[in-house]
This record gives sequence, structure tokens and C-alpha cells, in this order.
Amino acid sequence: MSLQEKYQTILDLANQNGTTYELSEGEGVLHINGTAPHAEAKQQLWDEYNRIDPDYRGGDLMLNIAVSGAESAGNTYTVQSGDNLSKIASKYGITWQQIHEANKDTISDPDKIFPGQELTIPGA
Amino acid sequence: MKIKFLTFFCLAAVLFLAACGKSDADLQKAVTDKLKADNVAGVTAGVKDGVATLTGEVADITVKNKAEASAKSVEGIKSVVNSLTLKPLPTPVPAPPDPMLKGKVDEALKKAGCTGVTIESKDGKIIASGTVADAKYAECVQAIMQSGATGFDNKIVKGK
Repeated sequence: MSLQEKYQTILDLANQNGTTYELSEGEGVLHINGTAPHAEAKQQLWDEYNRIDPDYRGGDLMLNIAVSGAESAGNTYTVQSGDNLSKIASKYGITWQQIHEANKDTISDPDKIFPGQELTIPGA
Repeated sequence: MKIKFLTFFCLAAVLFLAACGKSDADLQKAVTDKLKADNVAGVTAGVKDGVATLTGEVADITVKNKAEASAKSVEGIKSVVNSLTLKPLPTPVPAPPDPMLKGKVDEALKKAGCTGVTIESKDGKIIASGTVADAKYAECVQAIMQSGATGFDNKIVKGK
């Protein structure tokens, strides 16, 4: 079985969740270098990798997925109309409490955020 | 007499068409159109006796599988012979020199809070050992794989 066949479900998932990727292969190692649209998409790929190779010990895959700039952790996020903390948190694969914690100065009531408000997104 | 003949002729024609279904040429066009509609590029489809044969070179295995599924979904196609080949992959970008790579990985591990992991760098490959907490394990593996190494010998032990 080729390495592409072994790890094809990761690639299928990447196509489904909007992760762009490039493949390379050398010395018996498949490299998947890609950019996921958000942290959740990246996590899906890593979950699938863990399903195929529990604890990632095979040594035949290097999975290198970045999260695209706009929604990577450590950035700021501008609140859109219809947003709530849970919804924003899910985009980054973190909890709403983490966002609340990182923005204690500006969020007094976690149920009340406003469109246009800038939030600091803590690292996942 | 004439009417009888015509009736017979019509019946025969209807039976003939029903038995044969779509011609191979029609099916080939349908498969080609379906592949185009599904954004599968670089695939040539041929149809003989209702069996589609796909040839060409595609970017990766997902395109190969998608092409087969597309062709199979066309009504009238009995089976698909998938003779698509995969484009040879380029070799990975070489890793930085070992001391630099080790420095990079050490820094990434530190940033991820992976204390307890010891690494060695050899010919662009990372050999990692030590023990990390179960909850941190995946993060530490990610930090190493995202460092630009060309290989990874993972001997990290999952602790409590």
C-alpha cells in the first residue's frame, strides 16, 4: 500500500474542510504541508491521523498544517453581527471561557458583545 | 398487410432500443461531462460495452478516487476500470542544518510547554525521547512535525 493510500482519508478530509495542501515524499516519508482555514479543520486532520496511526509513531508521515492568518490563534477578531463567544471560540477550536478570560478588561458580561468590538484570541 | 408490417417493425425497433440502452459513444460523452462537472481534470474516459476505462495522470489519490466515483455514478456504466496513475511527488524541502533544526525544534517545544522532551537532530531527522503529560502529547508531536524536519523518530513516552 502506498503512503498516499494509507493516509488518503486525511487528504479526503482536507478537501472537504477547505484545507489546501501540497504533497512531497522522500526516504519513505510522506509530507503533507498545508494551510487549514481554521483551527477546527486542522484538528480534524490530526484526529484522523491519530485514528490511522495511534500516537503518531509510524514515522512515515510528517503532517505540517498551519492555520490561515485571519483566524490563527493569538490574533484579534472583530465581532460580527450574530456572533456570540461560543460561536467565535469554535472557529479557533478553543472555549468561550478562554476568550472571556483573555478579554476581561473589555467584556464585563460574556453574554453581551457588540459588532465591531475587537477581541483578543488566546492561543489554543 | 402494410399495417401489420409497420406494427411489427415499430415493436422490433422499440424492443431493440430498450435492450441496448445508451450507446457507448453516448455513455462516453456522459462520463466526460460528469468528470468536467465534478472538476476532475486530466482524465480521459473511454467506454466499451458499458465499461468505462479511465486513463491519465492525476495530482494525487483523492483525484483518482473522485474520478472513479464520478464515472460510476453515470447511469448505464456497468463498471469502471481505473487506470489512472499518480503524478510522482516532489522530494521534500531539505531540512535546515542539524544544529539549526535542533534549535528550531527546541524553541517550538519550549513555546508549546513541552518540557521533558529531549531531541536529537541527525541528517534532517528528529529523534525525540522523554516523557510528557498525556494532555500535552499531541501538541508536542505537532510542534516537532511543523519544524521543517524531514523525518521523525518518535520515542516520546506518554505520562500521566
